[in-house]
Amino acid sequence: MYNPGYYEFYCGVKTVAGHHALERIPALLKELGASKPMIITDKGVAAAGLVTVVAQALEAGMPAVVVEDDVPVDSDVGTVHRIASVYLSKGCDALIAVGGGSVMDTAKGVNIVVSEEAENLLDFAGAGVLKRALKPLVAVPTTAGTGSEVTMVAVINDPSVNRKLLFTSHFLLPDIAVLDSRMTLTLPSHLTAATAMDAMTHAIEAYTCLSKNPISDAFAMEAVSLISRNLLSVVDRPDDQEGRLALAVAANLAGIAFSNSMVGMVHTLGHSVGGVCHVPHGTCMSILLPYGLEYNMHKNGRWTGELLYPIAGEAIYAATAVEKRADKAVACIRQFNQALFEATGGRHSRCFKEVLDAQGKPAVPREKLADIAQTALGDGSIFYNPEEVDFEDALMVMEAAWAGDPLDRSLVKTA
Amino acid sequence: MGQFREVTSGRRVVQKLYITIMLWFVGRAIVAAYKSDPEVRREFDTLPGGFTFSLGVLPVGPRMVIRKEQDGKVRYLGQGKGEVMDLDLTIKHMQAFFMILSFQESTSTANARARLYVDGGVPEACAVVRVLDVVQVHLLPKFIAKLAVKRYPAWSWTRHILVRSKVYLRTVTGI
Ligand SMILES: [Fe+2]
Repeated sequence: MYNPGYYEFYCGVKTVAGHHALERIPALLKELGASKPMIITDKGVAAAGLVTVVAQALEAGMPAVVVEDDVPVDSDVGTVHRIASVYLSKGCDALIAVGGGSVMDTAKGVNIVVSEEAENLLDFAGAGVLKRALKPLVAVPTTAGTGSEVTMVAVINDPSVNRKLLFTSHFLLPDIAVLDSRMTLTLPSHLTAATAMDAMTHAIEAYTCLSKNPISDAFAMEAVSLISRNLLSVVDRPDDQEGRLALAVAANLAGIAFSNSMVGMVHTLGHSVGGVCHVPHGTCMSILLPYGLEYNMHKNGRWTGELLYPIAGEAIYAATAVEKRADKAVACIRQFNQALFEATGGRHSRCFKEVLDAQGKPAVPREKLADIAQTALGDGSIFYNPEEVDFEDALMVMEAAWAGDPLDRSLVKTA
Repeated sequence: MGQFREVTSGRRVVQKLYITIMLWFVGRAIVAAYKSDPEVRREFDTLPGGFTFSLGVLPVGPRMVIRKEQDGKVRYLGQGKGEVMDLDLTIKHMQAFFMILSFQESTSTANARARLYVDGGVPEACAVVRVLDVVQVHLLPKFIAKLAVKRYPAWSWTRHILVRSKVYLRTVTGI
């Protein structure tokens, strides 16, 4: 066991998981003293018929008073205030968020406004501003990836100053996370692949970066193992209920791990590619993950090596010499991306030059790499990366990840 | 009752004194490095005019305040006099701060162990931490600085010798 000397760990979310977990929501809300829930979701989730499934599950016990399905792809302040006023006018007393990261963030923002009777959400931006519990919030994730059903962070855009506002507080943790296999059953295979690789990255970075601790490690290990054993079979057989639930649980475990141990340079660079070129987060993660591990290997190769066990299984782990395990783990992740590339008919990208935008044009032009490297230096996750990353380092990694060549580790600057 | 003598922690008083002196030193060194080191100057160039930040200890321990004036000059404002902070870097308690300032723990490790509160913009906080890293490399002998930063930088000898002596001289004399 690695003992970091001092650490803190917290997870205050009740998790309910199963093939029929949604039906438990009314009873759980009743325990929290609520009776008039509002559902917050987005148009895509509603169109996929998932809100209907949730509404039916609530029907007998506690039907939703109102469904708000107008959440944009990036949650913003205006939407939060609009939904909050609907909540108040309808006399709701609880929130059920059905969706991905943006829906969760919006619901957390709405919860701040309605609980604190806030005139302006912006007054509550920052860390630790909230001082008391908010209204009951139930999180129903519809992708198995972000883990935002167990994180205490909300990111909400303020278009008036073109800024992302960060809200962090233990009170932003949902009260209940509901993992129901029906919610991810219809997720297209390339999105299943990308979101699961986001969860994989959360677990692996939590396990290999500076804030690792033994409790997070246990969550991370199991998350990596579940994803490695289930992702390919789910992509092959999308209606595999057991596999779907396993991935949802993995994303949950990974979310708990990284919200206590943080993430490193894979997210540093990934956030920056997302910001500059609007590439989906999961795609950035699956491409960058092997590079982050290679870049840091001289510092954290021991931890990466240990991950070979959940990634490749007992036989391969035992057959690989200790000093070769980290390299082998990286090779396995690359093989995994290759297998996902083939299974999704090429929609799971292996490098940035393969990523296409909505018009089918290259989404990450090579000229943008310097921009991306520069933006990365302002991302907080850089603190938690084992090795220093300056502009040249970031650019070097981005060049390799763009072309799809393994990182030339002799180019990594060490002390 | 009464048979136990009230003991004041002499160690804590010494720690507080040490931290106060170190903060004074680091504060002046940041200004000196801004004047002498191109990398530190570049970092400050990215910050807006009037940007004020502090490094201190919770709950009301010693602090150090730095401001980039509207004309671009960087000034050390001592403990500060109630200026509005754009960025507050706060260490949770004195023992933790002592670990950092006595270089028993690197800034990034302290942050990783949740000892550091960051209140303000994240990009600015990243820039300030990079400045602190450079300043540490200037001020400390290599064998200690190696403990304080993630990667001891491969600087040219001119930066190591010339820039560093300028930083030292300016820190001490304040010009
Ligand atoms: Fe992520």
